Amino acid sequence: MVNVKINNLSMKYEKKLIIENFELEILDGELLVLLGASGCGKTSLLKIIAGIIDPEEGTVIFDKEDITKYTPQKRKVGYVPQAQVLFPHMKVEQNISFGLEAHKLSKEEIKERIKWIAEITQIQDLLNRFPSEISGGQKQRVALARALAIKPSLLLLDEPLSSIDASGRESLALTIRRIQKETGITTLYVTHNQEESRLISDRVALMYDGKIQQIGSVIEVDRTPRNYLIAKIMGSSNVWPVEFLETKNGNSLVSTPVGLITLPYEIKRKITGIRIPPSSFKIVYDLSEDDKVIEFIGRIKSIIEKDEENFRIVVDLKDAHLEYFKVDCKKEMLNIESATNKEIQLHVLPSEVILI
Amino acid sequence: MHRFIQKKARNFEGLSNKFIISLSIIALISFLLAFFYIPIVRIFQTALSSDSGSGFKVFWETLSDPFNLKFLGFTLLQASLSTVLCLLIGLPVGYFFAKYEFKGRKLIVNLLTIPFVLPPVIVLIGFTVTYGQGGWVNLLWQNITNSSNVLITIDGTVQGIVLAHVFYNLSVIIRLTIPAWRNIDNEQIEVSSTLGVGKGKTFQKIVFPQIKNAIISSSLLVFIYTFNSFAIVMKLGNFNFYTLEVLIYESFDLLKFSEGASLAVIQLVINSLVIILYLVVERKSRKMAEGKEKGLKTARLSFKGKDWKSTVSLSLAIVFVFIVILFSFAPIIAIIVKSFIPKSPGDSPFWGYSQIFTQQKITPLNTNTIRLFGNTLLFATVAAVISLILSVLIVFVLRNRYQSIKKYQRSISESLVSYLIILPMATSSITLGLGLYLNFSGLSSYYNSVWIFIIMSHVLISIPFVTRSILVAYNRIDVELLNVASSLGASRVMVFRKIEFPLIKRGIIVGGIFSFAISLGEFGATYLLARANYETLSIGIYNLLGSQTLQISTAMASVLVLITALCFYLINKFGDIELKV
Repeated sequence: MVNVKINNLSMKYEKKLIIENFELEILDGELLVLLGASGCGKTSLLKIIAGIIDPEEGTVIFDKEDITKYTPQKRKVGYVPQAQVLFPHMKVEQNISFGLEAHKLSKEEIKERIKWIAEITQIQDLLNRFPSEISGGQKQRVALARALAIKPSLLLLDEPLSSIDASGRESLALTIRRIQKETGITTLYVTHNQEESRLISDRVALMYDGKIQQIGSVIEVDRTPRNYLIAKIMGSSNVWPVEFLETKNGNSLVSTPVGLITLPYEIKRKITGIRIPPSSFKIVYDLSEDDKVIEFIGRIKSIIEKDEENFRIVVDLKDAHLEYFKVDCKKEMLNIESATNKEIQLHVLPSEVILI
Repeated sequence: MHRFIQKKARNFEGLSNKFIISLSIIALISFLLAFFYIPIVRIFQTALSSDSGSGFKVFWETLSDPFNLKFLGFTLLQASLSTVLCLLIGLPVGYFFAKYEFKGRKLIVNLLTIPFVLPPVIVLIGFTVTYGQGGWVNLLWQNITNSSNVLITIDGTVQGIVLAHVFYNLSVIIRLTIPAWRNIDNEQIEVSSTLGVGKGKTFQKIVFPQIKNAIISSSLLVFIYTFNSFAIVMKLGNFNFYTLEVLIYESFDLLKFSEGASLAVIQLVINSLVIILYLVVERKSRKMAEGKEKGLKTARLSFKGKDWKSTVSLSLAIVFVFIVILFSFAPIIAIIVKSFIPKSPGDSPFWGYSQIFTQQKITPLNTNTIRLFGNTLLFATVAAVISLILSVLIVFVLRNRYQSIKKYQRSISESLVSYLIILPMATSSITLGLGLYLNFSGLSSYYNSVWIFIIMSHVLISIPFVTRSILVAYNRIDVELLNVASSLGASRVMVFRKIEFPLIKRGIIVGGIFSFAISLGEFGATYLLARANYETLSIGIYNLLGSQTLQISTAMASVLVLITALCFYLINKFGDIELKV
């Protein structure tokens, strides 16, 4: 397959730069998830790589070959746009053979290729149907089969799960993951949903302001987000921005939307946010004073059963309007009948507060 | 070597798209120049220069002639009057068909559209049989009142002209406002009423703003059709009333080319203004309809569970709609029935038909009827084929979204084409004919090749409608389909052959049949250009209108109605008729 390098790419839309000096490398055979909010330029980026739109500036390099000026026809890129656009007037089989005919494969080769890809994508039963006769998830599999049939060097997927109902998403995501691993095709998968990147990515690249802000495995990014915004995009619980920071006599005073937090050490670097993992809290019923812990007071708003032994509760903070904590606790800590709206005290050890 | 091939292939693909588009643009511009723009320039030239010398003299004289001014005023007045009447009748009928669901609803709406596609001579003959001096309505009235007074006079009266125009154009209002009524979101009306707003205010503030643009744009269409009315006014005006179109023809007939051309210039200016206004409003109303999912709450047509007040008002509405349906069908039925009524008792009811299918020449016709049929069908077929080719090229150039997305901007030549096709829409058929005559009559072979110009005039008249039919189909294609196709390796030609063409095929069929039907009944330009052997059925029927027996002309008209109805049936089978230009 292919190693893709995008260098110094810029793209304007209606006179505004939406992608600026963009750099990205997709490693040979990996599934890279590009995570970013709607309208951040992800789709434009895919179209540039597919050759459908031209960038203002910059190059797209496949292995060592500069393909920036190639037409879509010559790139051999499998492009699956967001809405599963199957050719409505062709049966599923004809949809798949379309690209093969364009590549001038013989009839036998086409037959064989369709058989191969239909098996991998599990659409053997759909070949004789029209797109209007199959479900959304099936359409997506056909679109995938159509793109993969030409054995592209790169697969581009634009929000492939966005129009699939919630129940089918996970299984389709895992199907995509399996097919990608079976075929070994380098894949760029674009989404705004961080859950999908957790499910299927080899690496995840976070994009905003027209650039990649951080790239790495999901676990890496989760553990060491480069800034507050990235932690937020990754969907981490209990993350807050830092409004200001003061260091004095070996202590640090951190101002956040949930109040002033004193940490017993001096912070020497620039921080953008803090995070407190839901499992770091300890619930205390009788209000007490303890110098060594950070205290929060709030009311329990809702209780979610996590598993056999644990609850996750949402606690509305007393002193910070509209802010709340997500807290994990053992079931025996709560009397579920009387817990809702109960005022509780939460204790966190300063060492549990993660600086971002 | 590998890279070299890649690069060459890339250039070829880019070039082939550019080449196809450039070729299309060249073909379109050459056609428009040869058969439209140069003839139009000829009209301006003729208007602004004369034998007597000074350039603007004839032009100003024509323009300030009280006779011409009077009938310019009349042209505007009758068009406005016809439009207002069409609105008054068409709007409620449109609402009725939007609101109520019942068996046969779609069929009736479709049948109501037939008058619009009928040739103007059919309207004339139908009106003569129905409302004329010895027509059925007057005979019935005389029988009822037992007197010799007539109820209605259509010859040489304004009411005759306006009535015929309403008959002809009512369907434009009905058909174009039904989707607008249907598009009104019922939930908005419900929200408005829960906010305590009364029905009148809700209509004024919620409903009317949403249908306003559809009303204006359909009215502008009716205005432009009636403003350029020719056959109806020439016959029913009976030398008492003229439209600009008839005046232009009269000047031409009297060989006063400069005067005719001057009038044509004025007409062209007015038409252009109305068409531009129409295009602006049309765009707005299209934007309004975009992205709406919910629509008007429809109701079953039923009296069940209604109080007496609603029952009465619904009954009145049904009676009103019934009268409109009768009004729209009566002349057509009258033609067919009349064609079978023997001249004198004991004669064969098929006499008229037997006459038109013989080789012998019927006086006052210039050629035999078989030839008229042959000409009509041949012209219509050739005109349909040429219109289709040109319209597909126009759509191709205007919607060159394939790869043009790279540029974000249309090329100058593409924009040029989009503007160049507006003026032909604003040109009346007499003006088209006049331009072709002025430009080509100097050729020594003109009289033998006049059929070419007749066909070209038909092509120019039908292109806006055909283009529209295909555009509507093309606009439904998702650009991403084309993107995916090209990323799968399909060439420009393959994308057209396998994706675009199959998806616009229905639009092409509809456009082709529509063009055939338009050519079939075209009157103005043909009447101006045609000589003896190249006349068509419409001209033949018109020439027979003055004769004693209407049997032959109604038989010819019935055949024409039959073919038109068949076209209309096929159009409805494959898609929807586009009344808009």
